[in-house]
Amino acid sequence: MRAIPVFVMMLGALAAGPQDDVRVIKINAERFAFTPSKVEVTAGEEVEFKLRSDDTSHGFRIVGTNTSVAIPKRGKGEASARVRLDTPGTYTFECNRMCGAGHNFMRGELIVRERAAGGR
Amino acid sequence: MDFHFNKVEHQDGILDFHRFVLLFNHSFSPRIRFVGELELEHAFVEGLEEAGEIELEQAYLDFLMTRALNVRAGMMLVPVGIINERHEPPVFNGVERPFVDTVIIPTTWFEVGAGVHGEVGRGFRYRAFVMAPLNALEFNAEEGIRGGRQKGAEANVRNVALTGRGEYLGVPGLTVGASFWTGDSSFAVPRLDTTVRVGEVDARYQRDRLELRTQFAYVTVKDAGRLNDALLGLTGVSPNIAEAMRGFYAEAGYRIWNQGSPRDLVAFARYENFDTQYRMPAGFLPLKEFDRDALVVGTTYYPDPDVALKIDYVWLRNQSSVITGANSFNIGLGWWF
Repeated sequence: MRAIPVFVMMLGALAAGPQDDVRVIKINAERFAFTPSKVEVTAGEEVEFKLRSDDTSHGFRIVGTNTSVAIPKRGKGEASARVRLDTPGTYTFECNRMCGAGHNFMRGELIVRERAAGGR
Repeated sequence: MDFHFNKVEHQDGILDFHRFVLLFNHSFSPRIRFVGELELEHAFVEGLEEAGEIELEQAYLDFLMTRALNVRAGMMLVPVGIINERHEPPVFNGVERPFVDTVIIPTTWFEVGAGVHGEVGRGFRYRAFVMAPLNALEFNAEEGIRGGRQKGAEANVRNVALTGRGEYLGVPGLTVGASFWTGDSSFAVPRLDTTVRVGEVDARYQRDRLELRTQFAYVTVKDAGRLNDALLGLTGVSPNIAEAMRGFYAEAGYRIWNQGSPRDLVAFARYENFDTQYRMPAGFLPLKEFDRDALVVGTTYYPDPDVALKIDYVWLRNQSSVITGANSFNIGLGWWF
């Protein structure tokens, strides 16, 4: 009887395709802060932001890019955004859904470092 | 916004639409933004504020420059304590705000001013503002400095006040904060130096179903004895203002239903101790009915994360042998958007 669930798991693994090595960065949103509010990535690195709210719905926008997603309210799941930035520099991410009087505080910094010499 | 049913012992119950709040915002550009908050209290306003009041609690421009340094100017919330800057009903337990955040820290405390705010390192956030001071002429024994808020209404700025707050948010679930206010409040009684200083520390922690928060606040009023004498001369009654006031509370909440709204229910208990007659100037005796403590027990149900239905019971005691505290049963419905 144990063979059946093992077979189902194997099918699931096949359906998922090759293992994804994208780095996942979890960010928590709460009026009026992102935690963490400072994130570092490497130029050209693809990362996936997993965004969850502790209260109301928020927005997550990386200024100067096309990345903009809505973060659902607490208990309503999470949002995700895959991002790859090739240009080193400091980017601002912010809540772009008015979430209360401290909305302007809800900002963070995404630092894109140069790739080390010889890096892929 | 919220409305309440309050039933104080030996008194008739009261239904009150306590606060109706409108928020406005506008981005002139990605770096210049306006935030406004207009609040109607107690549903109805008539001349001389017999019934309610309309308050412009916030109307400021933010000039967003860098993560570490931004400029803000206009009508702003004073950055002192847990509740003052986050005072909407779904973010705190209890139908009414904590007593400490009412009579020691006079929420909602807002003034005109300007200053800077920003975030440095990994989760350290600050704001520092210059604001209009309190008016010592309006202090009293029961509510301390609360009556002294000028609320940006042609506020006298012969002196200014400095205020600031630092917060650390670098550990998931934990927020630790400290704040201060200092300013000479004697412009209406010019020969005195009634500098008011407020110091405050607080912490909030949330992990899984458990939510904890605590706050300690201490207020000093310089020259309080001479201020009482001056007000006695002006009004014929000494307000018995203390030279030090103190309050603290600790609250524990447990999310007994934690499946996300509409299956979202918190039970909580909060102990508060607050004394607006903590230290008296020489020659004045404390009024012991204002040395109070309270136990608040209740629940908050969230049919939506932005909507809170609250029920609580408040045991209120004081140190007077003559005047007893009145317990109360309260129901409230609050929301924001």
